[in-house]
Amino acid sequence: MKASLRQSMAWLHTWSGLLLGWLLVAIFITGTSAYFRDEISFWMAPELHQSVASEAAPRLAWEQLNTTAPNARNWLIGLPDERHPVVELRWQPDTPEAQENRRRRGERAEMDASTGEILEPRASRGGDFLYRFHFELYGVPRIWSRWLVCVATMFMLVAIVSGVITHKKIFKDFFTFRPGKGQRSWLDAHNATAVLALPFHFMITYSGLLIFMIMLMPWGINAAYEDGWRGFFAEVFPREEQTTGAGAPAAMIDDIQPLVARAEATFGQPVRYIEVEWPNRDNALIRVSTAKEATITDRRRGGAPSLSFDGVSGRLLKTDPGTHPSDGVAVRIYNLFVNLHLARFADPATRWLFFVFGVVGSAMACTGMLLWVAKRTQQLRGKAPGFNLRLVNGLNMASITGLLAAMAVYFAANRLLPAALEGRESWEIRAFLLAWLATLIHALWRPHRRGWLEQLAALAALWLAVPVIDLATTDSHLFSAIAWRHGALAAFDLVCLGMAAGAGYAFWRVAGHTPARKPARAARPRRAATGDTP
Amino acid sequence: MTLLPLTWTLGYAGLTALALAMKRHHEAMLGSKASEARLRGFRVLGWALLATMTAGCLMVWPTGLALWMAFGMVAFAGLPLVFLLPYRPRLAARLALGLPVIAAVFGLMPG
Repeated sequence: MKASLRQSMAWLHTWSGLLLGWLLVAIFITGTSAYFRDEISFWMAPELHQSVASEAAPRLAWEQLNTTAPNARNWLIGLPDERHPVVELRWQPDTPEAQENRRRRGERAEMDASTGEILEPRASRGGDFLYRFHFELYGVPRIWSRWLVCVATMFMLVAIVSGVITHKKIFKDFFTFRPGKGQRSWLDAHNATAVLALPFHFMITYSGLLIFMIMLMPWGINAAYEDGWRGFFAEVFPREEQTTGAGAPAAMIDDIQPLVARAEATFGQPVRYIEVEWPNRDNALIRVSTAKEATITDRRRGGAPSLSFDGVSGRLLKTDPGTHPSDGVAVRIYNLFVNLHLARFADPATRWLFFVFGVVGSAMACTGMLLWVAKRTQQLRGKAPGFNLRLVNGLNMASITGLLAAMAVYFAANRLLPAALEGRESWEIRAFLLAWLATLIHALWRPHRRGWLEQLAALAALWLAVPVIDLATTDSHLFSAIAWRHGALAAFDLVCLGMAAGAGYAFWRVAGHTPARKPARAARPRRAATGDTP
Repeated sequence: MTLLPLTWTLGYAGLTALALAMKRHHEAMLGSKASEARLRGFRVLGWALLATMTAGCLMVWPTGLALWMAFGMVAFAGLPLVFLLPYRPRLAARLALGLPVIAAVFGLMPG
């Protein structure tokens, strides 16, 4: 192949982008939503919405666990915070089966933080479905889907590097966007979303690969650690193992509140977790820990400042100011990338900024794929598009508007499916997949401008329907969320309205698209009217 | 977090100054041809504003994240600028003057 470096890179960029672009768009869009995984899960469990964080939460949780699981092996009380205003109760029963699977989670319940009532949210995978879809899709054996996403990520890295080499005037065209010029405009938009957020695209892709490296290629770990995975995780996430057995039955302190107050006074931070080992035994141990100060190069789960108390007398046993074990440089760099990928440290404002990053990344992938079609449509100079072009256009449609429409259907299904339905959480996912399949069939049937208009109209209608259905079926709809000053719930509905507005605007732009300015594209609507539709 | 809007507007102003340091955008935004000295002046101003924006990031976030978010701000401030420029170039330039002032007044107000 006689071509300059730039030409061969352009070829590489075009075809690697096209080949895995559809998958990458889905990865980007679901990954963007995953920044608000907890908020989405919360929105999808309206039974929890009545809970309001309260001072009484530790006491209520204490009473509840003393009633429900007085003789468990351990308790874990997760106190409410801004992202999740519900008390999480977890415990492991002291039975032989539970001993067998000590790493398993055990029992779990959610409790209203101000009334102490046990809440029973409808069965739903919530934000976790979208989060999991982001890196292992759905319905495919995990090992295959993860490898597939890993390969797509690798191609994304190839596309980034080859794209930078291909781009002729990165700095000269840094601020350039020329609207209304067909292919040229798509190229400018693709460049702007790619170049301005280039550090983000590089970071998210490279860190994605690092995560997969650990997930899929454990050979290095197997070589370095005698017991492979277990040894690696023991080093990265050290846990204090319970060593003692159960003591003789003994009543614990009645009131947990003073211990919580003492920890808050000691560390000047709200308490997040209360752990109890061997509750209601004479060797009961209570550990009250606060939120860990977020450090971007640290991702150990332990190490939060905590106070340990004797469970029976309430005497302070140990003050642990929180540890940040000093990792090697390699581990810290790995942690840095992974934490940035997951926005694990982020306060709400920073989380929103990462969400915007994700939107920009999705826009980059989408504009790139639309550019592929725009360029080839322009080259036709009015001739009818061939099978390949129609196929790509249809697949673009299904992967962009189709996926977004399916997400709206997923959220609507959460509100519309009866709470008592057998296998409810699978039905939500089925609704998502069926909606996506429907858009794919529609897109392949009508892979042209009219098809886009129809999908955009459906998209706007569906996203508008989500807050409306929410209004009709729950008490915690947009208006009450605003009245309660519940930011996350209100934001969810507002983002839905924003999506509807965005789809509506896109519809209006495509509908008002004037053929006179782009003669090459004028053939498409005419052909659509006369030609290939039954 | 009150500094965040101000930091963002400084990034916007800095990028606008860098755009004003380029002939094509300078003419579109200000309607006049610029001398080399003026373009150079805008370039210096632009980088100075971006440095201030980075300082702002360092006040909002812990160091490691702040340096990272300084790059992020280029995207957050740059994208609105890029998509505003072809439609309303003069407004884009005026916003670079007005937004930091508004953000400073609201952000630094006591209480």
